[in-house]
Amino acid sequence: MKGPEIVWYLAVAASLFATGALGVLLRRSLLIVLLSLEIMLNGANLALIAFSRLHGESSGQIFALAVMAVAASEVVVGLGLIVAIARKRLDLDVDKLSFLRG
Amino acid sequence: MIVAAWICLLAPLAAALLITLLGTGISRRTAAYISTSSVLGSFAAAVVVFAKLSSESPDARSHSSTVWEWLTAGSFHVGLRILVDPLSVFMMLIVSGVGFLIVAYSIGYMDGDDEERRYFAYMALFVFSMLLLVQAGNFVILLAGWGLVGLSSYLLIGFWHERPAAIAAAKKAFIMNAIGDATMALAFFLLIQHHNTLNFPPALHVGPGHGWLVNLVALGLLGGAVAKSAQIPLQTWLPDAMEGPTPVSALIHAATMVTAGVYLIVRCHAIFEQAPRVEELAAGLGAGTLLVAGLIALVQTDIKRVIAYSTMSQIGYMFLGAGLGAYANAMFHLMTHAFFKALLFMAAGVVIHALAGEQDIRKLAGVGGLMPVTRIVFLIGCLALIGVPPLAGFFSKDSIIAASFARGWYGTVLSIAALIGTFLTGLYTSRLFLIVFTGEPSPFVREHLLGRSHAHGQEGAHGEDDPSRPHSVHVHRGEGPFWLMAPVLVLAVLSVVGGWIQFAPLWHPLSTWLDEVAPPLATPSSAQEAVASVLAVLLGLAGVALAFAFYGRRRLAVPRIAWAQTLLEHKFYFDEAYDFAFYRPAVWLSLQLGRWVEGLIIGGSIREIAQGVREAGLGTGRLQTGLVRTYALAIAASLAVITVVFVAVR
Repeated sequence: MKGPEIVWYLAVAASLFATGALGVLLRRSLLIVLLSLEIMLNGANLALIAFSRLHGESSGQIFALAVMAVAASEVVVGLGLIVAIARKRLDLDVDKLSFLRG
Repeated sequence: MIVAAWICLLAPLAAALLITLLGTGISRRTAAYISTSSVLGSFAAAVVVFAKLSSESPDARSHSSTVWEWLTAGSFHVGLRILVDPLSVFMMLIVSGVGFLIVAYSIGYMDGDDEERRYFAYMALFVFSMLLLVQAGNFVILLAGWGLVGLSSYLLIGFWHERPAAIAAAKKAFIMNAIGDATMALAFFLLIQHHNTLNFPPALHVGPGHGWLVNLVALGLLGGAVAKSAQIPLQTWLPDAMEGPTPVSALIHAATMVTAGVYLIVRCHAIFEQAPRVEELAAGLGAGTLLVAGLIALVQTDIKRVIAYSTMSQIGYMFLGAGLGAYANAMFHLMTHAFFKALLFMAAGVVIHALAGEQDIRKLAGVGGLMPVTRIVFLIGCLALIGVPPLAGFFSKDSIIAASFARGWYGTVLSIAALIGTFLTGLYTSRLFLIVFTGEPSPFVREHLLGRSHAHGQEGAHGEDDPSRPHSVHVHRGEGPFWLMAPVLVLAVLSVVGGWIQFAPLWHPLSTWLDEVAPPLATPSSAQEAVASVLAVLLGLAGVALAFAFYGRRRLAVPRIAWAQTLLEHKFYFDEAYDFAFYRPAVWLSLQLGRWVEGLIIGGSIREIAQGVREAGLGTGRLQTGLVRTYALAIAASLAVITVVFVAVR
């Protein structure tokens, strides 16, 4: 097997996932939070594909494809919500959108 | 023969179903004819059964037929089984025969009522129930008939359901009967446990050596009999049941229902003979009832209630006879009583019918001169009730008294009560007759019967005592239409000749007929018969004479003893006592339970639980900040913790 060792792939995947997670946790803009979520998903995808290549099995790739499909639908829903919120002239700030307070 | 018995049983049921299913598709009169002809068909079938049975040898006169085993539990079977033997045939003849006359009388009496079809369906159902009761081949079917009789009486007593009094009376009858049904059912459970069968006749023969069991069973059966036959202490429903239409009263009192208790004791005499104390209790209750009812009847002012109390009193004689082992005599009195009691009710019904439903004897006073035929038939009924020879009551009542002479000191004590009862019977019966049928017509009577010739047809002289009921304007000439008078006249003839079939010392076909089913325990000697007859007739006539002095000639002022009168008008305070002993405590208990158990324990605990859930919800709600980033942090942190834990555990 050519190319870098699996560790490198996993390191990139972990840094992608950490970047995304930090974005979700720290940023307040809705759009950025959504973007960060996508980054987290892609980090996971990368790890899946890396392992798939390591073991010479295609099921990891199929999983990655499924994750992409889920991510795409999730983005549709998320963007739809964001557009609806923007239309109501509300702030696109996650800290201010706290209507579900108990 | 069995087929005829089934026809006899099922014809009225078929009529009831037919009338119900056809609904308004048939005219009211058609419904009446369907009902009447079905009961007539029953009677004809009963006659066929009787004829077949009497052609057999006496010891083979018992046949049973099962069409369907509907309950099987191990070796215990219960089926739809009928039993045809001399006793059940005897009852079938009375129930369907007298029942037919009463239903036919209803054609005239109920003519024009809004709900005639419902009425006739109920009447047919009533006759069917009673036939089921007397033809039952096991205790379960007997209980089914017993319950159906209670149901039909409930439906018919409350027939005029717009009247609150009728509904209350119907409920009272039903509840009183339900008490008896319950004790009977308990007795049957004991029998099942001990015997593993409820079929007649094996279930009736409890072997000796089961003292407590047989006593309990007999007590349970006695409870049912007492409730159905309106004996002390479950008698209070019967006078209230007068709220029903008059033919219903006649049916309840003469052909069906109240006689069921006597039938039950005679049918189960083998059980009662194993429990002699209970049997003596039955006789004692009968004697008590006949005195109490006779006394109360002295002060009643409602024509139907006087007759109702006289029924209670006469059923008391039958209980006395059945309890002392004079089964054939009790059944004989049951038959003659059916004739003259139906006659009295129906003659009273003619008067009530002609006078716009009025039942107060003070208002009905002096109607006799205007209704001569009714007066004569009512007089026949009264004399038969008092027991004046040669009318029916003389033969049957005296034979019961004679039989009680033959049963030792206990029987003698009870026979004295019975003799006092004959005096009371003479007194209250003559009082009723003299007030209503002799003397000058009261203004009320004059207005209704004489006023009619001037303003003919303007007044709806038809209906019962509720003037708000809509009734068709219907005026008849004379005393009543054909359908009213014909059954009354037939019964008048029967009340005269009905007693002649048995005159104890000389000929006794009835006792012979029933001997195989219920052999008597007491056989009075001819001297006892003679003494009983003479004493009973003399005491009865003394009552008549006293009533004549009070109400006929008015030589004597009616004695007024305030406390006695109050006591009697309140019917010995039975209703009040039950109100005090059962109703009030029940209401008090319910209120207390409602306040403390329902309010505090049940309601309180539910309130507490709800409060707790609510507070817990509010507490957890505080965790829900609405800030997405907090949730994300919580998820990330828990994930981190879980990861660390997994790694560490490895």
